[in-house]
Amino acid sequence: MKGGGKLALCVALSFLGCSSVDAQQQKVGAPPEASNMKLVGTNDLQARSAYQPTIHHQGDRWIAYIGHHGGTDEIPDPINPMTGKPEPNGTSIVDVTDPAHPKYLRHIPGQEGKYESGGAQMVRVCDGKDLPKGDRNAVYMLRTFGSEAHEIWNVADPANPALITRIGGLKDTHKSWWECDTGIAFLVSGAPDWRTRRMTQVYDLGDPAHPVKIRDFGLPGQEPGSTGAVPTELHGPISTGPGRNRVYFGYGTNKGGFLQIVDREKLLNGPKEPIAENLRYPEISRMPLSALNGAHTTFPMPGMPIAEFSHDKDGKTRDIVMIVDEAILNECGEARQMVWFADVTTETRPMMISSYTVPEASGSFCERGGRFGSHSSSESMAPVYYRKMAFIAFFNAGVRALDIRDPYHPKEVGYFIPSITSATDKRCVTVEGADRCKVAIQTNNVETDERGYIYAVDRANTGLHILELTGEARAVAGLP
Amino acid sequence: MRTSSVIGAAALVFGVLSGVAAYESAAPRDNWKEIAWPFPRDGWPAGRAFRCSAASCGGDVEVYIRPKLGFCNCTSGVADDDEVDRVADVDLISERFVPIGAGEAVRVADMPGRVRPYHLKPGDGMHAAIGIAVSHRCDLLVVAAQGRGDVIQLRRAALEFLASAAPVQWIKSAMNTQ
Repeated sequence: MKGGGKLALCVALSFLGCSSVDAQQQKVGAPPEASNMKLVGTNDLQARSAYQPTIHHQGDRWIAYIGHHGGTDEIPDPINPMTGKPEPNGTSIVDVTDPAHPKYLRHIPGQEGKYESGGAQMVRVCDGKDLPKGDRNAVYMLRTFGSEAHEIWNVADPANPALITRIGGLKDTHKSWWECDTGIAFLVSGAPDWRTRRMTQVYDLGDPAHPVKIRDFGLPGQEPGSTGAVPTELHGPISTGPGRNRVYFGYGTNKGGFLQIVDREKLLNGPKEPIAENLRYPEISRMPLSALNGAHTTFPMPGMPIAEFSHDKDGKTRDIVMIVDEAILNECGEARQMVWFADVTTETRPMMISSYTVPEASGSFCERGGRFGSHSSSESMAPVYYRKMAFIAFFNAGVRALDIRDPYHPKEVGYFIPSITSATDKRCVTVEGADRCKVAIQTNNVETDERGYIYAVDRANTGLHILELTGEARAVAGLP
Repeated sequence: MRTSSVIGAAALVFGVLSGVAAYESAAPRDNWKEIAWPFPRDGWPAGRAFRCSAASCGGDVEVYIRPKLGFCNCTSGVADDDEVDRVADVDLISERFVPIGAGEAVRVADMPGRVRPYHLKPGDGMHAAIGIAVSHRCDLLVVAAQGRGDVIQLRRAALEFLASAAPVQWIKSAMNTQ
């Protein structure tokens, strides 16, 4: 082909490519894309980048506590309309008793800083009456304060929270877990002397006003004074509590991830000096993922009856862990991050049994802008959905509803991709040294409440979307 | 679609292609020879590896360079030596490396970061190693180098190579910082 012909072909291909992109780009004012899910209500969350939502039944009210990432380059400290002042992103508290009309109650500022470097991403909530030594009238919110601290607030009056405790002096924090019945907390922290950015600090927060540190925990090679290769960092743990005596740790975020199964009792009561031998002591097993995938969420579902195995003499029920990777790069700049199901029934030989991803071609998601891939799952163990349905935040592919009753064959039964708004922030990739930006929804995290409402929040500042199931998806969950 | 958009899109395609071509074709200095990436596939795509003979560099030296796009410390960058230990690919040479001392600030292809010297355990390749990690926004460039000479000689040889025109050109191309 001659030079002119090549140029014409390139221009034509570029034209076709751009037409395809235009067709898939979200536009302000366009309706959401949905199947078997519908929007019930929204709140803009003051246009703050959102991470973890936790929904708590508080007396006769339902309150959503939503952690935020830091601000953006353009707006480091968004204005809080309730105070009229700029505030670093922190925690939003929203009354969702009437999910069609969420009422924003309070913003608690977080650490100054942009994107991952500020805010107050994580939040968990326990009632004082459930904690061993809590004030029975209190409701305690455990949150991160940027990278430097964990805090506990009394949110019994959610519009007027009061700071109770701060655990500071850290170099990072992230996705912690708190057992409300025992008070034991597995805090994702960066202890200053450890070689990793994120490890575990186990605390007894049974009396939130007086935290008691139990131990530091991580992988051999991360502890102070060690040398050589440093194992990949922790993302977050989920504990089954003393009943099943297991803690499932997810390491790696988008690369080199693995699931670590830990004996909770040995972790809490075993030798605590941070040396390699003591760090190995409570570990039951590890299951590595591909080096191309990480583990953001490791959600345990023990004792799942598997219909297909119901006539088998053994193995009718299986212990399952759902592992969710986190996509990091915009516009598919990395290997696909997705959802995995592991059968951990034989704990020393856990095995991956299935996977799920959104088909890219179903929405040309690599061209829409922002991240495409999984990030996190719902973590509620309330009966309404537990072991039946999982909800996955999939960034520009919105929320995906999975029928997981047969975890060997998970099946998507619904989805909801929220509309963008004027508040939705751009996402850029660098091409030839210059930014090329697009605007797309970035559904970041998702949670459910005991009523069956689904709460999705957006990393790109679009806010909170409260959803409910319809059609086939509703039937899967057994909802009327 | 407007004509300007078409021309812009075409220019973008050509720009990307020329950048890739620059990355692939840029030749290192004569006394450095490119060798195959010697490590098995891991979570990051393979980088580029180079060898300098003892006659040219005062001791056999190998340098391994690769971008790691997607780095969480977008604002703070490579802030401490622990970060270099974690990310600089020295563990690809040997999992048993011991830092000889504190690291220092360094710039590679106009990107700031740190360089740190290491000693490799006997039997794990050559004797001395250095790790370098520099960042641009949310992306990293890491360099590991090993050599049979002393670590000062190794460091000098590696940094001189990284400062030469060809490596700088393709590092910038690979990191999209041109």
